[in-house]
Amino acid sequence: MIGSIEVRGLSRTFHTTVRRPGFTGALRSLVNPERAVKHAVSDITFDVSQGELLALLGPNGAGKSTTIKMLTGILTPTSGEARVAGVVPYRERERNARNIGAVFGQRTQLWWDLPVRESFAILRDIYEVPRAEHAARLREFDDILELSTFWDTRVRHLSLGQRVRCDLAAALLHDPMVVFLDEPTIGMDVVVKEQVREFLRHQVEERGRTVLLTTHDMTEVERLAERVVLINHGRLVLDGTLDEIRRRFGSTWQVRATLADPHTPVGPLPGIVLVRRDGPQVVFGPDGPAAPTVHTALKLVIERYEVTGVAVDEADLEDVMRAAYVHANAEAV
Amino acid sequence: MATLHGWRAARVTPLGELYTPPRITAAVLRLTVQIVLVASLWHGLYAHTGTTAGLTRDQAVTYAVLAVLASRLRELDQYAARDTVVQHLHYGTIVYWYLRPLPPHRYYALRALGEQLYGFAWALTGYVICLAAGVVEPPGSAAVTGVFALSLLLGQWVLYYVMLLIDQLCFWTLRNDAAIMILIFAQNLLSGVYAPLWFFPDWFLTLSAFLPFQATLSVPLSLYVGRIPLSDAGAQLALQAAWVVALSLVTRFLWRRAARRVVSQGG
Ligand SMILES: Nc1ncnc2c1ncn2[C@@H]1O[C@H](COP(=O)(O)OP(=O)(O)OP(=O)(O)O)[C@@H](O)[C@H]1O
Ligand SMILES: [Mg+2]
Repeated sequence: MIGSIEVRGLSRTFHTTVRRPGFTGALRSLVNPERAVKHAVSDITFDVSQGELLALLGPNGAGKSTTIKMLTGILTPTSGEARVAGVVPYRERERNARNIGAVFGQRTQLWWDLPVRESFAILRDIYEVPRAEHAARLREFDDILELSTFWDTRVRHLSLGQRVRCDLAAALLHDPMVVFLDEPTIGMDVVVKEQVREFLRHQVEERGRTVLLTTHDMTEVERLAERVVLINHGRLVLDGTLDEIRRRFGSTWQVRATLADPHTPVGPLPGIVLVRRDGPQVVFGPDGPAAPTVHTALKLVIERYEVTGVAVDEADLEDVMRAAYVHANAEAV
Repeated sequence: MATLHGWRAARVTPLGELYTPPRITAAVLRLTVQIVLVASLWHGLYAHTGTTAGLTRDQAVTYAVLAVLASRLRELDQYAARDTVVQHLHYGTIVYWYLRPLPPHRYYALRALGEQLYGFAWALTGYVICLAAGVVEPPGSAAVTGVFALSLLLGQWVLYYVMLLIDQLCFWTLRNDAAIMILIFAQNLLSGVYAPLWFFPDWFLTLSAFLPFQATLSVPLSLYVGRIPLSDAGAQLALQAAWVVALSLVTRFLWRRAARRVVSQGG
């Protein structure tokens, strides 16, 4: 309750004017505008508990940013309800503002003309953070994000990666219980990305913050999130652990083993089929929707048979997500 | 307390300027050139006559130079700081205004206050120098000084609301550059920066009486040079105050509509 997010049947519909192509089209749109309805988010329900990091995934245009905007109180839903740390964000915007921090990847909240530290000081005053607390928190952030090398630089002179790191710090300076990150690592190099991940892990594990994150970087999801919510065309497709997603959409793993004794009889294991056998070389694959993860399968194989060597091929998360998105698309049609 | 806790937002403009010395140099140069040009123009115009439109040469020069100085109060390079409403709407960063415990209208007001105080420091410095150099005349009496100060304050307040109104326009039009250009021209023309208002034809004065622009500069400066006598000051101040009240109501209403606009558009 304290730092949790509850989303119940959240929906958001946009009304737009269709622009017809060409000159006569533009004229006709002017005289007789054609209205279109876009269901950006439809009936989404999920929870995030205190101290949990949840990745909100989905292809471009799925409705992730729209969902985050409703949870931060910028957008009012068409129907449904949301509570963030016990507050209905779009009804009590100011109260909600004290509980949350947010980063919208490509958009900075820092003051363009001022050194980063001045921006931090302005935010400190706006959120009424005591000076000592502010200084201590900056030191803590600096330890992981290495901000002090550039925090006296003006924002206009920062590189993208530096700026987003500062934005991340800025969003957390007032010690919010809940943090919303819409593509926070966009455009960062691998070293900085790892820094940011470590920072987020630290914030979740040590500080108990609740984090809702969207990203298109599957490595990030793999390193950070235990649980993901997958949406497509504004609808919730799946809410579960990464393992569950793998099981459902990524049943493409193989376990290849070399048996110590080539004459051992080999049969199927629970949820696992024998795909191929060539003397001592055996290949197992997943069997149906109840198939275990590749790690479980590996364990089962080693436990059951005496093997001299094993190898696994696993569809990486990228492939799994591709399968999941395609699947979700097919369902939607 | 609620207003005070974000006071540092008022420092944004002065700090940004201090971190960019070339902007300050440019401002000094421009101000100097403008004052020298305006002063010599009016000296030239008065070369063959003693009084025009009821004003002596020194009164006219004083008026014109003060107008240049006062226009400096809020005419900074706002775009450079990327902190204008139109830019925030363009970059989508307006969402952060609605994500803080400081309401957007209060943040905007604090920013503008800092900007105007900073501009005031410039105008005051320029004024003292011009006074010492004999370019402008001192006010006629202590009473005139007091009434002028009050009228200038009200005028700046009106100006603040007019600029706010133009900024609020962006929430619907997403752009306001044309509106700003018209505003700056109208503002300078109707408030007497280009030429004191009493040189214009009557129909123009009638038109301008129905707009808030006279209240921003023309009234305080006319009080200063004595074109408006102290006996009329009360009525003029009341008119200025009426503009402040009217515009504050309109802009408050528009802030509410703008918030709803952001809420439905999603920045
Ligand atoms: N203000 C708006 N007016 C009309 N349609 C909108 C508006 N905002 C979003 N949409 C539409 O709603 C859908 C969801 O958009 P949203 O930005 O939430 O997607 P997303 O999941 O964040 O995508 P991406 O991964 O590209 O960031 C899109 O089809 C988009 O065109
Ligand atoms: Mg998005």
